[in-house]
Order: sequence, then C-alpha cells, then structure tokens
Amino acid sequence: MLQFKLVLLGDSSVGKSSIVNRFVKDSFDEFRESTIGAAFLSQTIALQGQPDVSVKFEIWDTAGQERYKSLAPMYYRNANAALVVYDITQAGSLEKAQAWVTELKEKVDDDSLVIYLVGNKVDLAEADQEVCAVPTPEAQQYADDNGLLFGEVSAKTGQGVQDTFQAIGQKLYDLKKNEQGALQGSTDGHVDIQLPRPSTNDSTGCCV
Amino acid sequence: MLSPERRTSMAERRPSFANFAGSHNQIDTMMIPHLAGIEDPLPESTPETVDVLIAGTGLVESVLAAALAWQGSNVLHVDCNDYYGDSSATLTVDQIKLWVNRVNSNSIPSYSNAKLYVSTSIGSDRRYASRDFGIDLSPKILFAKSDLLSILVKSRVHQYLEFQPLSSFHTFENDCFEKLTNTKQDIFTDQNLSLMTKRNLMRFLKFVLNWEQMPDVWGPYRDKSITQFLFDKFKLDKPQVFELVFSIGLCSNIETKVPLALQRIRRYLTSFDVYGPFPVLYSKYGGAGEVSQGFCRSAAVAGATYKLNEKIYSYNPTTQVATFSDGSKVTVTEKVIVSPTQAPEGSQHIPEQKYQVNRMACLVEKDCNEWFTEGESASVVVFPPGSLKSGNKEVVQTLILGAGSDCCPQGTSIWYLSTIEKGSRAEMDLDAALEALEASLLRESSTEITQNDDIVQISDDGRPIINSVRLGQSFKEYMPRESIQHLMKLSYTQFTSTPPFDVVNPALFDNDALNNRANSDRKFIPNASDNGVLYTAMPSSEISYDEVVTAAKVLYEKIVGSDDDFFDVDFEDEENEMQNGPGPVPNNISYENAIDDDDEDADMGMQGDDSAEFVGKMEI
Repeated sequence: MLQFKLVLLGDSSVGKSSIVNRFVKDSFDEFRESTIGAAFLSQTIALQGQPDVSVKFEIWDTAGQERYKSLAPMYYRNANAALVVYDITQAGSLEKAQAWVTELKEKVDDDSLVIYLVGNKVDLAEADQEVCAVPTPEAQQYADDNGLLFGEVSAKTGQGVQDTFQAIGQKLYDLKKNEQGALQGSTDGHVDIQLPRPSTNDSTGCCV
Repeated sequence: MLSPERRTSMAERRPSFANFAGSHNQIDTMMIPHLAGIEDPLPESTPETVDVLIAGTGLVESVLAAALAWQGSNVLHVDCNDYYGDSSATLTVDQIKLWVNRVNSNSIPSYSNAKLYVSTSIGSDRRYASRDFGIDLSPKILFAKSDLLSILVKSRVHQYLEFQPLSSFHTFENDCFEKLTNTKQDIFTDQNLSLMTKRNLMRFLKFVLNWEQMPDVWGPYRDKSITQFLFDKFKLDKPQVFELVFSIGLCSNIETKVPLALQRIRRYLTSFDVYGPFPVLYSKYGGAGEVSQGFCRSAAVAGATYKLNEKIYSYNPTTQVATFSDGSKVTVTEKVIVSPTQAPEGSQHIPEQKYQVNRMACLVEKDCNEWFTEGESASVVVFPPGSLKSGNKEVVQTLILGAGSDCCPQGTSIWYLSTIEKGSRAEMDLDAALEALEASLLRESSTEITQNDDIVQISDDGRPIINSVRLGQSFKEYMPRESIQHLMKLSYTQFTSTPPFDVVNPALFDNDALNNRANSDRKFIPNASDNGVLYTAMPSSEISYDEVVTAAKVLYEKIVGSDDDFFDVDFEDEENEMQNGPGPVPNNISYENAIDDDDEDADMGMQGDDSAEFVGKMEI
C-alpha cells in the first residue's frame, strides 16, 4: 500500500473540510457554514482500473490555523499532495486560492508535489447560473499555466469528489512508480520510533 | 477532586463525537476525531470573549493550550513572532539572524549577549540554504520513560512527529571520549575495568533502581554529594563515578545532592530498553520547536484559536480586557498567561529571572558519524567539571545532531553546547568544549587513523570499530592539518526563574492576587501594563523535557482548579488503528537489558524482597 500526505488549503468557508468529509464518509451536513478543523483523517482507495493498487491518504485539515496565516511548518512538511479549494460562487475566491498555491510552492520544496485546484459548490451554480462568480475556463487556464490538476466539485451532492481523489491517487502512483528505484535507495538506515509501541511486552516497560 | 466550576470536557460536550466514531464503518482509520467546527463553525474574526488568553507558543504554553482546549476551555493562543515556538523555537539561519538582532536591541526579555557568525556558504544560491537548517533555541532530548512522552501518546500529538533513537553518551575525560559503559554487557566486556570495579558497578546499578526503598543505604548521605556517596558507599573509581553522575545522571556538578542524582541516574536506566537499546529519543526536523507546533495543532483541533504576529499591549484586570498592539481587544473571563519573552511594554510583574543558561549552537561541515551509533544520528557528549582547559567548575553538556535528524543537510551537523556557568567564565568553558570537540573530531576522522590496523578493529559484521579510548591515548599529540569549517556559530545567554536541574516552582504563580479581584489591592502597580498577568517560566537548563509537563500542569491547576482532567482525552478507536494499521512493526529482537541478571526476569523494577536481600550481600 502506498501512503501519501495530503494537505488542504484555501480560505475559510470555501468548503475544504466538507469535501474531505464527503470523501471519507460520504455525507454532507447542509447546515455547516464554515470550515472544519479536523486534524487528520485517513482514507484508502483502490485506483480505478488498477484495483490491486491501493492508495492511502493521510489528510491534514488546517484546524482553523489558516485564518490568521498561522499554519505551522509542520503542516506543509513532507506533503505529497495539496488540495487547494476555492468557492465558485465567491468572486475573488480564485485569487485567494492562487495566493495559497504561491504560499505552498514557497513552503514545500519538492517538485513532485501534486497540487489539485478544486472549485467547490458547483451544485449552486447548476441550480442558478447567476451565482457562478468564477468562470470555469479562467480557473482551468490558471491550472494549466501552473501545472496543476483541476476540477469542479460539489461537496454537497458528491459530484466530482471521488474523481478528484482518484486523479490525485493516480498521479501520485505514477510519480511513485517512476521514482521507485530512487526511493528505495533513499532509505538511509535511520529508524523512526513508534511511541505507542514499546519494544518489550512487559507492561512495566510502558511509559508511565 | 473536581473543582466545582469544572467545565464539561470536550468529549462530554460533543455528543456527535461518539456517533461519528462509531457509525461510519467505511472510515478506514480515524487518527484524530473530528471536533472543532463540526457543530460549531469557527468565527471569522478574533473572538470577542475567551476563557484563557495565552501569549507565546513555547513548549509549556503549547502543552497548556492543548490541555485547556481538550478540557473544554475556549483558548486564544497568540505569539508576537511570525513563527511558532517562542523560547522553544526551531529556527532557520535567516530567522536566527533576525532573532540575534532583536536580542541585542533588548527587545526579547530573558535573553542577552547574542553573538553570531554565519559563513558565506549559507544563503540564496550558495552551497546551503538558510532553511536547510533547523536550529533549536532550547535543545532537548526525550527520555523513553517520561511524563511528556506519555502525554505525547495520550494526546496523539506524537502522530504529527517523528522520533529517532539516541544511544551514544560520551564522557570527555583526559582529553578523550569514553563511550558510556551503561549496559551489563558493556560492563562485562570492557577490558579496562577491573573485576572489582565491575562488581561494584553492578551493585550500584541494582541499588539505584530501587533506591527509595533503601533509605538505610543513602539516608546518611541525604545532604551529601553524590560523588562522595559513590566513592564511600560503592567504592567506585572516578571514571565510573563521573560517567554515572554526568553522562547517565546528566547532573551539573560534583556537589549534586544524593537523592536528586539518584533519581536522575535511575531516569536513564529505566528509560533504557523501553523502545530498544537506548534511553532517549529526539524528534526529527527540530526539537522543542517541533513538539510545540504539534501541541498547538492539537489545541487548534480542539477549538483553540491561533494568531501569530500578535503582541499583547496591555491587560486590564478590572475590565478583563486584553488589548493587542494592532488595537484589537479580547475579553478574558479567566486567566491571561504570558511568556516572559512576550511581556507587554511597561510590564512590571515579570518574575525575577536570576539563573543563567549559557548556550552555543554551531553548524559544522562534518557529518560526525564517528560519534553516532550505527543507524542513529545524534549523540550526547558531556564535559565533567575539571575536564576542560578552562578548568570548568560546571558541566558542559553537548547534543550533537547529524543529517539523519533532518535538522541539517548531508555532510553537516549541529552542535549544541550549554552550561549553567555564568558570564565570561561560561564563554571560556563553552569555547574550550568546542575546541575539544573539534580536536577530537579531527583525530577520529583522520584518514591516517582509519588505515592503522592497531586502532581500527573490524567487527563480526565487517564494520570498523574505532576504539576511542586508544585514539585518545595514541593521538594526544597529534596536530591536525585540517580544520573544521563552521557554517554558523551562535552563542547567547538565556535567563530563567527555574533553578538549575530543578523544576518550576509553583510559588512563581502565586503572585496573581489580581486575578482574584476581591484581593486586587495587594499587587496592583499603577501604570503597569501587566497587572493580573500570570507569567510562565522560561526553559531551564535541563537538557531533557522533564520539566515541561510539571510546569504546564501547575498552570493548568491554577486555571481549572485541579489537574485531574489534564489531558483526560479518550480516543477509543485508536487502539485498533495502532494494532492493525500498517506501518513498521516493532522489532522482536530482544535486547540485552541494561542491567538485568540472567537469573531474574526482564522487569526493570526489582522485587522489594530481592533488593533487600541484595543489599545484605553488599556488606555495606
């Protein structure tokens, strides 16, 4: 199983957490008004067309720390993918997403970072074309120019949500496949210790 | 003992938590449950009213913020810096430059005398980038058996962090490093130890595990120094005594009192083998700065509001309004907690910071693998009193981190030195220790040496073992032609209210009569900007994290009324995850226990009867 860290970015109330909640538990709470600060969630998917390949996402939400630009370096560290969310019904929302993309590229020093730009609340635009404040071609153009994946979703109806994570999973898998050799060589023999797992079976060996 | 005003805990207040965790089978794993904002959308602007305002995101403040947030308090946590960590921060080289300037313009209380050299090899388009390095303002190691470690596990904050082992403890003596003799195996195979010394050492190691139950042994020495106790009672020689007191016990000087030293020696021994054959861990990417960020994130998840670049301007205990430098205000219903480094201008209540810790951090263009155990990337080197050219009275403690810690790039290392010695004497001691480290490194890494068969032995698995004892002897006169490249050298004095090798004094927080407004005439200073503010303690000289939880708990109790529900969090679905989830499976290799005997079980704590019997055999 391949495991990847995915971080959410975007301004408050664009629906970052709703998208993730839709993805991990396929539910949507209509009365949720603002962003949600869950810590991190894990969800495993099988890639479409390659059911033997499973990809596990460790999804980090901002926990509200983005509101005053107070995200810690820890948040970005070792991120493999980022979902940058804007709200297609909010004018100026795409510009804010672009600022997050800039911030992200500054903070994550890794060319293989997969960035997916996603416009949320497409259900509202379908119900009433008038409310669409960010034209799809404009966002598409920005994504193409900057090498981002792009899509529009509705966290409310679920439209496009699974596809978004499928696309990210596929892209990460393709990257990993190409890097496989290099990655295996890069294990430097350092051990990471799992704190909840003392090495002895002795109960007194547990931390007190 | 619950305080009458105890609020309901997070879990109690959020019934959906239980439903959420239980009713969605398709959720593969819930690392940390949804909480903040699920029922309660986060507000867009700074809250108007909070229960607790904390200024400074140092480690103690961050642990406190997380504990309060999970307990159900509404916390606003700010920091006047644009980074997390405050006095515990992990900084890049560029951030260090700014920090030094601020220290030297007296704008960070509790620090002084900062000196910095940065090589031209660090900078944009140079060999190294500023952010390739993570430099800790207060470097720390984590004992495998310690209160912070158990809080890290309980709060799940450990999931945001990565930990690596540290087993190399060196004592510098007679101009060379002695690798620590800390396991039974080491003791038995060490050919430099006489049979009698081995026996005495084993006796002491057995005693110290259960020392509190044997007051007849140490009681008469209660007020004596540990060194005298070890010489008199256990007939140990100076090298062993120094190892026990300074490397294992990490004590400050030869005057350290018996009970304190015994407790510290036991800390090392009981931590050994909890996760493997090492007593200590450290976090990757940075120490206390990284751990602080983890607790802040945890607090945010539990609903705390975070705002960097926010400095307290004043607090009025009568109106309970705190004002920030940008003009915004917040009403604080319970307590305002401020780190001494973030005190508002015009403050008059900062506790006296009368103890010095003199610190040095060097970035060195050497990997220092000579000093690390294979597969590790860190070591502790201790310079006991009198071991340095400067004739040091206090110990100099050194933490070396290599590139495997991801705090510095390949081919470099970070050396952290500290002492509780004061003023210019401290500078001389730190410089002497630095010089000794450099000389030793040049000797040990010299190619001439590794080609000498007499000194390099090859182990069974083909790995060369360099005998540092013999190196020290053979090359005492060796004059290196090479020199060590310093990429950065930083030194500074930090002040703290916590005495050396002690823990925070709860009395520090008793001068808050103002918070009890009925009583407010006592300590009110007209025109002071910080009446009613409770100050935290600055990091002490302690090289481990051992003071942190105590300090956070004392403050927590001040605010909540009791520490009974300090991190009383219950992430019940976690067990499953940890047992069934993927990830590295712990090695089933059974390591040689530090001190157990073949005829005893592996339990670190001995049975009382055995111990008593053993004391009899000791003929002391």
